[in-house]
Amino acid sequence: MKALFILFAITVSMATKAQVTKVYLQASGLTCSMCSNAINKALKTLDFVDKVDEDVKNYTFEISFKPNTQIDFDKIKNKVENAGFSVSRFVAAVQFYNVQVRGNGPVTIGNYTFSFVNGKQQFLNGVQQVRLLDKGFVSSKEYKHNAFSETTIAAGVYHVSLYGKL
Amino acid sequence: MKILFVITIVLLSLSTKSQELYSQTEPASNRAIGSIGLRVDNSIMDETYTSKTNYHLIPEIMFGISKKLLVNGGLFFSNRTDVFRGEGGSLYAKYRFLSNDAVQKHFRMAGFSRISYNNSDIHQEEISLYGHNSGVEFGIVATQLLRKVAVSSSVSFLKATDNGRGNKFFYGKDKSKAVNYTLSVGKLMLPKAYRDYRQTNINLMLEVLSQVNMGSGKYFVDVAHSVQFIFNSQGRLDIGYRKELSTTLLRTAPNGAFVRLEYNFFNAF
Repeated sequence: MKALFILFAITVSMATKAQVTKVYLQASGLTCSMCSNAINKALKTLDFVDKVDEDVKNYTFEISFKPNTQIDFDKIKNKVENAGFSVSRFVAAVQFYNVQVRGNGPVTIGNYTFSFVNGKQQFLNGVQQVRLLDKGFVSSKEYKHNAFSETTIAAGVYHVSLYGKL
Repeated sequence: MKILFVITIVLLSLSTKSQELYSQTEPASNRAIGSIGLRVDNSIMDETYTSKTNYHLIPEIMFGISKKLLVNGGLFFSNRTDVFRGEGGSLYAKYRFLSNDAVQKHFRMAGFSRISYNNSDIHQEEISLYGHNSGVEFGIVATQLLRKVAVSSSVSFLKATDNGRGNKFFYGKDKSKAVNYTLSVGKLMLPKAYRDYRQTNINLMLEVLSQVNMGSGKYFVDVAHSVQFIFNSQGRLDIGYRKELSTTLLRTAPNGAFVRLEYNFFNAF
Protein backbone atom coordinates (compact mmCIF):
# COMPACT_ATOMS: atom_id res chain seq x y z
CA MET A 1 0.00 0.00 0.00
CA LYS A 2 2.80 2.33 0.96
CA ALA A 3 4.75 1.32 -2.12
CA LEU A 4 1.69 1.99 -4.26
CA PHE A 5 1.32 5.39 -2.67
CA ILE A 6 4.95 6.22 -3.37
CA LEU A 7 4.61 5.05 -6.97
CA PHE A 8 1.52 7.18 -7.34
CA ALA A 9 3.30 10.15 -5.83
CA ILE A 10 6.25 9.70 -8.20
CA THR A 11 3.99 9.42 -11.23
CA VAL A 12 2.12 12.55 -10.25
CA SER A 13 5.31 14.45 -9.56
CA MET A 14 6.85 13.33 -12.88
CA ALA A 15 3.73 14.30 -14.69
CA THR A 16 3.76 17.75 -13.24
CA LYS A 17 7.46 18.24 -13.83
CA ALA A 18 7.01 18.97 -17.51
CA GLN A 19 4.49 20.73 -19.65
CA VAL A 20 3.84 21.14 -23.37
CA THR A 21 3.93 24.83 -24.23
CA LYS A 22 3.72 24.83 -28.02
CA VAL A 23 3.63 22.61 -31.07
CA TYR A 24 5.38 23.42 -34.33
CA LEU A 25 4.24 21.35 -37.25
CA GLN A 26 5.09 21.25 -40.88
CA ALA A 27 2.47 20.04 -43.33
CA SER A 28 3.25 18.28 -46.58
CA GLY A 29 1.47 17.63 -49.82
CA LEU A 30 0.56 21.23 -50.59
CA THR A 31 1.79 24.43 -52.13
CA CYS A 32 -1.30 26.60 -52.55
CA SER A 33 -2.36 29.07 -49.90
CA MET A 34 -5.98 27.78 -50.05
CA CYS A 35 -4.72 24.39 -48.91
CA SER A 36 -2.70 25.93 -46.11
CA ASN A 37 -5.73 27.97 -45.06
CA ALA A 38 -7.78 24.78 -44.83
CA ILE A 39 -5.26 23.32 -42.37
CA ASN A 40 -5.12 26.55 -40.36
CA LYS A 41 -8.91 26.71 -40.01
CA ALA A 42 -9.11 23.04 -39.10
CA LEU A 43 -6.50 23.40 -36.33
CA LYS A 44 -8.41 26.36 -34.86
CA THR A 45 -11.47 24.18 -34.26
CA LEU A 46 -9.64 22.15 -31.57
CA ASP A 47 -10.95 23.18 -28.15
CA PHE A 48 -7.49 23.21 -26.52
CA VAL A 49 -5.92 25.37 -29.25
CA ASP A 50 -5.60 29.04 -28.41
CA LYS A 51 -3.80 30.40 -31.44
CA VAL A 52 -2.32 29.26 -34.75
CA ASP A 53 0.45 31.32 -36.30
CA GLU A 54 1.23 30.21 -39.82
CA ASP A 55 4.33 30.61 -41.85
CA VAL A 56 2.71 30.27 -45.29
CA LYS A 57 6.05 30.23 -47.05
CA ASN A 58 7.38 27.24 -45.16
CA TYR A 59 4.08 25.41 -44.61
CA THR A 60 4.64 25.48 -40.87
CA PHE A 61 2.17 26.22 -38.10
CA GLU A 62 3.00 27.38 -34.59
CA ILE A 63 0.22 26.22 -32.29
CA SER A 64 -0.33 27.79 -28.84
CA PHE A 65 -2.61 26.24 -26.27
CA LYS A 66 -5.19 27.41 -23.78
CA PRO A 67 -3.98 27.08 -20.19
CA ASN A 68 -5.03 24.04 -18.17
CA THR A 69 -6.33 22.06 -21.11
CA GLN A 70 -5.56 18.53 -22.24
CA ILE A 71 -3.38 18.73 -25.33
CA ASP A 72 -3.93 15.86 -27.72
CA PHE A 73 -1.21 15.29 -30.33
CA ASP A 74 -3.29 12.75 -32.24
CA LYS A 75 -6.15 15.20 -32.63
CA ILE A 76 -3.75 17.80 -34.04
CA LYS A 77 -2.34 15.31 -36.53
CA ASN A 78 -5.82 14.14 -37.52
CA LYS A 79 -6.91 17.70 -38.29
CA VAL A 80 -4.10 18.03 -40.82
CA GLU A 81 -4.96 14.68 -42.38
CA ASN A 82 -8.66 15.48 -42.51
CA ALA A 83 -7.87 18.66 -44.39
CA GLY A 84 -6.35 16.31 -46.99
CA PHE A 85 -2.65 16.63 -46.18
CA SER A 86 0.09 15.04 -44.10
CA VAL A 87 2.35 16.00 -41.23
CA SER A 88 6.02 15.87 -42.12
CA ARG A 89 7.44 17.32 -38.90
CA PHE A 90 5.85 17.58 -35.47
CA VAL A 91 7.85 19.27 -32.72
CA ALA A 92 6.51 19.92 -29.22
CA ALA A 93 8.13 22.56 -27.06
CA VAL A 94 8.18 21.11 -23.58
CA GLN A 95 9.06 22.88 -20.35
CA PHE A 96 11.05 20.46 -18.24
CA TYR A 97 11.80 20.83 -14.55
CA ASN A 98 14.68 18.51 -13.79
CA VAL A 99 13.29 15.44 -15.52
CA GLN A 100 15.59 12.48 -15.68
CA VAL A 101 16.02 10.65 -18.97
CA ARG A 102 17.58 7.23 -18.77
CA GLY A 103 18.37 5.69 -22.15
CA ASN A 104 15.12 5.11 -23.97
CA GLY A 105 13.26 4.56 -20.71
CA PRO A 106 9.82 6.10 -20.57
CA VAL A 107 9.25 9.65 -19.32
CA THR A 108 5.69 10.67 -18.52
CA ILE A 109 4.54 14.14 -19.40
CA GLY A 110 0.93 14.93 -18.70
CA ASN A 111 -1.08 12.06 -20.16
CA TYR A 112 1.71 11.07 -22.53
CA THR A 113 4.73 8.87 -22.14
CA PHE A 114 7.79 9.64 -24.23
CA SER A 115 10.49 7.20 -25.14
CA PHE A 116 13.65 9.10 -26.10
CA VAL A 117 15.28 7.18 -28.95
CA ASN A 118 18.53 9.07 -28.82
CA GLY A 119 18.30 9.45 -25.09
CA LYS A 120 21.44 9.54 -23.08
CA GLN A 121 21.53 9.67 -19.35
CA GLN A 122 20.66 13.27 -18.49
CA PHE A 123 18.42 15.66 -16.61
CA LEU A 124 16.23 17.87 -18.79
CA ASN A 125 15.60 21.45 -17.78
CA GLY A 126 14.04 24.49 -19.41
CA VAL A 127 12.15 24.46 -22.70
CA GLN A 128 13.30 21.66 -24.98
CA GLN A 129 12.04 20.80 -28.42
CA VAL A 130 10.92 17.22 -28.67
CA ARG A 131 10.23 15.76 -32.10
CA LEU A 132 7.70 12.97 -32.48
CA LEU A 133 8.82 10.09 -34.65
CA ASP A 134 5.79 7.84 -34.86
CA LYS A 135 3.52 7.14 -37.81
CA GLY A 136 1.69 10.22 -39.06
CA PHE A 137 4.08 12.61 -37.29
CA VAL A 138 6.92 12.23 -39.79
CA SER A 139 6.95 11.70 -43.56
CA SER A 140 6.02 8.20 -44.65
CA LYS A 141 9.55 7.77 -45.95
CA GLU A 142 11.06 8.60 -42.58
CA TYR A 143 8.52 6.42 -40.82
CA LYS A 144 9.49 3.44 -42.93
CA HIS A 145 13.09 4.15 -42.09
CA ASN A 146 12.37 4.34 -38.34
CA ALA A 147 9.94 1.44 -38.35
CA PHE A 148 8.52 1.84 -34.86
CA SER A 149 5.70 -0.39 -33.84
CA GLU A 150 2.27 1.22 -33.99
CA THR A 151 1.16 -0.55 -30.85
CA THR A 152 3.11 1.80 -28.62
CA ILE A 153 1.05 4.79 -29.74
CA ALA A 154 -2.12 3.01 -28.74
CA ALA A 155 -0.60 2.67 -25.28
CA GLY A 156 0.10 6.41 -25.23
CA VAL A 157 3.86 5.99 -25.69
CA TYR A 158 5.50 8.24 -28.28
CA HIS A 159 8.93 7.75 -29.73
CA VAL A 160 10.69 11.10 -29.64
CA SER A 161 14.06 12.65 -30.18
CA LEU A 162 15.46 15.82 -28.70
CA TYR A 163 15.35 18.51 -31.35
CA GLY A 164 17.59 21.05 -29.63
CA LYS A 165 16.88 23.72 -27.09
CA LEU A 166 14.77 26.77 -27.93
CA MET B 1 -6.68 5.63 -78.42
CA LYS B 2 -3.69 3.71 -77.12
CA ILE B 3 -1.37 6.34 -78.60
CA LEU B 4 -3.18 9.10 -76.74
CA PHE B 5 -2.72 7.20 -73.51
CA VAL B 6 1.01 6.72 -74.17
CA ILE B 7 1.40 10.42 -75.03
CA THR B 8 -0.33 11.29 -71.78
CA ILE B 9 2.00 9.10 -69.75
CA VAL B 10 5.09 10.45 -71.51
CA LEU B 11 3.97 14.05 -71.00
CA LEU B 12 3.29 13.27 -67.37
CA SER B 13 6.77 11.95 -66.82
CA LEU B 14 8.53 14.69 -68.81
CA SER B 15 6.82 17.69 -67.41
CA THR B 16 8.23 19.56 -64.48
CA LYS B 17 5.70 18.78 -62.08
CA SER B 18 1.05 24.11 -58.94
CA GLN B 19 -1.66 24.29 -59.02
CA GLU B 20 -4.28 21.72 -59.52
CA LEU B 21 -7.60 23.49 -59.12
CA TYR B 22 -8.28 23.09 -62.81
CA SER B 23 -11.08 24.78 -64.71
CA GLN B 24 -12.29 21.85 -66.79
CA THR B 25 -11.25 18.79 -64.82
CA GLU B 26 -10.91 17.70 -61.20
CA PRO B 27 -7.58 16.75 -59.59
CA ALA B 28 -7.02 13.61 -57.51
CA SER B 29 -6.93 15.70 -54.33
CA ASN B 30 -10.14 16.24 -52.42
CA ARG B 31 -11.68 18.87 -50.17
CA ALA B 32 -11.02 19.32 -46.46
CA ILE B 33 -13.39 17.31 -44.29
CA GLY B 34 -16.43 19.32 -43.25
CA SER B 35 -15.91 21.98 -45.90
CA ILE B 36 -18.53 23.19 -48.34
CA GLY B 37 -17.75 24.76 -51.68
CA LEU B 38 -20.20 26.71 -53.79
CA ARG B 39 -19.44 27.01 -57.47
CA VAL B 40 -21.12 28.74 -60.39
CA ASP B 41 -19.96 27.61 -63.78
CA ASN B 42 -20.92 29.82 -66.73
CA SER B 43 -20.07 29.03 -70.31
CA ILE B 44 -20.92 30.95 -73.43
CA MET B 45 -20.53 28.67 -76.45
CA ASP B 46 -20.81 29.63 -80.14
CA GLU B 47 -22.99 27.33 -82.22
CA THR B 48 -20.97 26.19 -85.19
CA TYR B 49 -23.79 25.99 -87.77
CA THR B 50 -25.86 29.01 -86.68
CA SER B 51 -25.24 32.49 -85.36
CA LYS B 52 -26.66 31.45 -81.99
CA THR B 53 -24.81 31.55 -78.70
CA ASN B 54 -25.57 29.00 -75.99
CA TYR B 55 -25.34 30.06 -72.38
CA HIS B 56 -24.93 27.23 -69.87
CA LEU B 57 -25.24 27.91 -66.15
CA ILE B 58 -24.26 25.16 -63.70
CA PRO B 59 -24.48 25.98 -59.99
CA GLU B 60 -22.80 23.32 -57.86
CA ILE B 61 -22.38 22.48 -54.20
CA MET B 62 -19.43 20.39 -53.01
CA PHE B 63 -18.99 18.59 -49.71
CA GLY B 64 -15.83 17.20 -48.09
CA ILE B 65 -17.42 14.11 -46.54
CA SER B 66 -14.20 12.51 -45.31
CA LYS B 67 -10.55 13.12 -46.00
CA LYS B 68 -10.82 10.75 -48.91
CA LEU B 69 -14.36 11.31 -50.21
CA LEU B 70 -15.85 14.30 -51.99
CA VAL B 71 -19.45 14.56 -53.14
CA ASN B 72 -20.72 17.20 -55.50
CA GLY B 73 -24.18 18.04 -56.79
CA GLY B 74 -24.94 20.34 -59.72
CA LEU B 75 -27.91 21.67 -61.67
CA PHE B 76 -27.97 22.31 -65.40
CA PHE B 77 -29.55 25.40 -66.91
CA SER B 78 -29.21 26.66 -70.47
CA ASN B 79 -30.89 28.64 -73.26
CA ARG B 80 -29.91 26.15 -75.95
CA THR B 81 -33.55 25.29 -76.62
CA ASP B 82 -34.47 28.96 -77.18
CA VAL B 83 -35.71 29.60 -73.68
CA PHE B 84 -33.48 29.65 -70.63
CA ARG B 85 -34.61 26.74 -68.46
CA GLY B 86 -33.51 24.00 -66.08
CA GLU B 87 -32.49 20.88 -67.95
CA GLY B 88 -31.37 18.48 -65.22
CA GLY B 89 -28.57 17.83 -62.79
CA SER B 90 -25.78 15.53 -61.77
CA LEU B 91 -24.18 13.88 -58.77
CA TYR B 92 -20.42 13.43 -58.69
CA ALA B 93 -18.26 11.55 -56.19
CA LYS B 94 -14.49 11.18 -55.98
CA TYR B 95 -12.54 8.85 -53.71
CA ARG B 96 -8.80 9.38 -53.18
CA PHE B 97 -7.17 6.00 -52.78
CA LEU B 98 -3.50 6.90 -53.01
CA SER B 99 -1.59 9.78 -51.47
CA ASN B 100 2.18 10.16 -51.33
CA ASP B 101 2.87 13.51 -49.66
CA ALA B 102 6.16 15.27 -49.18
CA VAL B 103 6.96 18.92 -48.50
CA GLN B 104 5.61 20.97 -51.45
CA LYS B 105 4.82 17.92 -53.50
CA HIS B 106 2.47 15.00 -53.78
CA PHE B 107 1.40 12.21 -56.04
CA ARG B 108 -2.23 11.23 -55.64
CA MET B 109 -4.74 9.02 -57.37
CA ALA B 110 -8.50 8.93 -57.15
CA GLY B 111 -11.46 7.14 -58.65
CA PHE B 112 -14.51 9.16 -59.61
CA SER B 113 -17.98 8.72 -60.98
CA ARG B 114 -20.77 10.92 -62.21
CA ILE B 115 -24.44 10.26 -62.84
CA SER B 116 -26.34 12.84 -64.84
CA TYR B 117 -29.88 13.54 -65.90
CA ASN B 118 -30.76 15.85 -68.72
CA ASN B 119 -34.11 16.45 -70.39
CA SER B 120 -32.99 18.43 -73.42
CA ASP B 121 -32.95 17.05 -76.96
CA ILE B 122 -29.96 15.00 -78.12
CA HIS B 123 -28.24 17.21 -80.64
CA GLN B 124 -24.68 15.95 -81.09
CA GLU B 125 -22.59 12.78 -81.23
CA GLU B 126 -20.30 14.01 -78.46
CA ILE B 127 -21.33 12.65 -75.09
CA SER B 128 -21.21 15.23 -72.29
CA LEU B 129 -22.54 14.48 -68.85
CA TYR B 130 -21.92 18.09 -67.84
CA GLY B 131 -25.05 19.68 -69.22
CA HIS B 132 -26.02 17.70 -72.34
CA ASN B 133 -26.59 13.98 -71.84
CA SER B 134 -28.13 11.69 -69.28
CA GLY B 135 -25.77 8.87 -68.35
CA VAL B 136 -22.99 7.59 -66.13
CA GLU B 137 -19.23 8.04 -66.04
CA PHE B 138 -16.47 6.17 -64.16
CA GLY B 139 -12.81 7.08 -64.21
CA ILE B 140 -9.47 7.44 -62.52
CA VAL B 141 -7.29 10.50 -62.15
CA ALA B 142 -3.64 10.88 -61.17
CA THR B 143 -2.12 14.20 -60.06
CA GLN B 144 1.47 15.11 -59.48
CA LEU B 145 2.23 18.34 -57.66
CA LEU B 146 5.75 19.66 -57.52
CA ARG B 147 6.16 23.08 -55.98
CA LYS B 148 4.55 25.57 -58.40
CA VAL B 149 3.40 23.15 -61.09
CA ALA B 150 0.74 20.45 -61.03
CA VAL B 151 0.07 17.94 -63.78
CA SER B 152 -3.03 15.81 -63.79
CA SER B 153 -4.36 13.21 -66.15
CA SER B 154 -7.58 11.23 -66.21
CA VAL B 155 -9.19 8.44 -68.16
CA SER B 156 -12.90 7.78 -67.86
CA PHE B 157 -15.59 5.64 -69.41
CA LEU B 158 -18.93 7.23 -70.31
CA LYS B 159 -22.26 5.66 -71.11
CA ALA B 160 -25.04 7.86 -72.43
CA THR B 161 -28.65 6.88 -71.95
CA ASP B 162 -31.79 8.39 -73.39
CA ASN B 163 -32.45 11.89 -72.15
CA GLY B 164 -35.60 12.81 -70.26
CA ARG B 165 -38.86 14.06 -71.78
CA GLY B 166 -38.70 11.26 -74.37
CA ASN B 167 -35.53 12.55 -76.02
CA LYS B 168 -33.89 9.40 -77.34
CA PHE B 169 -30.17 8.84 -77.84
CA PHE B 170 -30.78 8.11 -81.51
CA TYR B 171 -27.21 7.46 -82.72
CA GLY B 172 -27.50 3.82 -81.70
CA LYS B 173 -26.58 1.82 -78.62
CA ASP B 174 -23.08 1.00 -79.87
CA LYS B 175 -22.29 4.72 -80.16
CA SER B 176 -23.52 5.54 -76.66
CA LYS B 177 -20.18 4.60 -75.05
CA ALA B 178 -17.07 6.72 -75.07
CA VAL B 179 -13.74 7.19 -73.35
CA ASN B 180 -12.53 10.60 -72.19
CA TYR B 181 -8.86 11.46 -71.82
CA THR B 182 -7.70 14.63 -70.15
CA LEU B 183 -4.34 16.19 -69.42
CA SER B 184 -4.16 19.34 -67.31
CA VAL B 185 -1.23 21.49 -66.34
CA GLY B 186 -1.39 24.36 -63.86
CA LYS B 187 1.30 26.76 -62.76
CA LEU B 188 1.35 29.23 -59.91
CA MET B 189 2.52 32.57 -61.37
CA LEU B 190 1.99 34.92 -58.44
CA PRO B 191 2.86 35.51 -55.69
CA LYS B 192 6.51 34.69 -56.11
CA ALA B 193 6.73 33.99 -52.41
CA TYR B 194 3.92 33.46 -49.90
CA ARG B 195 3.65 35.80 -46.96
CA ASP B 196 0.03 35.49 -45.86
CA TYR B 197 -3.39 34.18 -46.81
CA ARG B 198 -4.66 37.51 -48.11
CA GLN B 199 -2.31 37.60 -51.07
CA THR B 200 -4.09 37.02 -54.37
CA ASN B 201 -2.78 33.95 -56.17
CA ILE B 202 -2.69 33.81 -59.95
CA ASN B 203 -2.52 30.47 -61.71
CA LEU B 204 -2.32 29.69 -65.41
CA MET B 205 -3.97 26.51 -66.66
CA LEU B 206 -3.68 24.58 -69.87
CA GLU B 207 -5.89 21.57 -70.42
CA VAL B 208 -6.25 19.10 -73.25
CA LEU B 209 -9.64 17.38 -73.37
CA SER B 210 -10.41 14.51 -75.64
CA GLN B 211 -13.11 11.93 -76.31
CA VAL B 212 -13.11 8.78 -78.41
CA ASN B 213 -16.41 7.10 -79.20
CA MET B 214 -16.15 3.37 -78.63
CA GLY B 215 -18.70 2.48 -81.30
CA SER B 216 -17.70 4.75 -84.17
CA GLY B 217 -14.06 5.42 -83.31
CA LYS B 218 -14.76 9.13 -83.91
CA TYR B 219 -13.02 11.59 -81.64
CA PHE B 220 -12.43 15.19 -80.69
CA VAL B 221 -9.49 17.01 -79.12
CA ASP B 222 -9.97 20.38 -77.42
CA VAL B 223 -7.67 22.71 -75.62
CA ALA B 224 -8.77 24.99 -72.79
CA HIS B 225 -6.65 27.74 -71.33
CA SER B 226 -7.56 29.80 -68.36
CA VAL B 227 -6.30 32.26 -65.82
CA GLN B 228 -7.30 31.73 -62.23
CA PHE B 229 -7.40 34.15 -59.31
CA ILE B 230 -7.58 32.93 -55.74
CA PHE B 231 -8.72 35.58 -53.28
CA ASN B 232 -8.10 35.52 -49.56
CA SER B 233 -7.32 31.79 -49.80
CA GLN B 234 -11.06 31.17 -49.93
CA GLY B 235 -12.58 32.46 -53.18
CA ARG B 236 -11.73 31.62 -56.73
CA LEU B 237 -12.36 33.05 -60.21
CA ASP B 238 -11.44 31.25 -63.43
CA ILE B 239 -11.70 32.92 -66.82
CA GLY B 240 -10.89 30.87 -69.87
CA TYR B 241 -11.58 29.78 -73.41
CA ARG B 242 -12.13 26.30 -74.79
CA LYS B 243 -11.29 25.62 -78.41
CA GLU B 244 -11.69 22.61 -80.64
CA LEU B 245 -8.44 21.50 -82.20
CA SER B 246 -9.67 18.55 -84.17
CA THR B 247 -12.89 16.52 -84.46
CA THR B 248 -14.57 13.78 -86.42
CA LEU B 249 -17.54 13.73 -84.03
CA LEU B 250 -20.55 15.92 -84.76
CA ARG B 251 -20.60 18.72 -82.20
CA THR B 252 -22.87 21.76 -82.17
CA ALA B 253 -21.00 24.30 -80.03
CA PRO B 254 -17.49 23.24 -79.05
CA ASN B 255 -15.88 26.69 -78.84
CA GLY B 256 -16.54 29.26 -76.21
CA ALA B 257 -15.57 31.19 -73.13
CA PHE B 258 -16.16 30.19 -69.54
CA VAL B 259 -16.20 31.98 -66.21
CA ARG B 260 -16.23 29.96 -63.03
CA LEU B 261 -16.72 31.37 -59.54
CA GLU B 262 -16.15 29.40 -56.37
CA TYR B 263 -16.25 30.09 -52.66
CA ASN B 264 -15.21 27.76 -49.85
CA PHE B 265 -16.56 27.51 -46.33
CA PHE B 266 -14.18 25.58 -44.09
CA ASN B 267 -15.43 23.62 -41.05
CA ALA B 268 -19.01 24.13 -42.19
CA PHE B 269 -20.36 20.85 -40.84
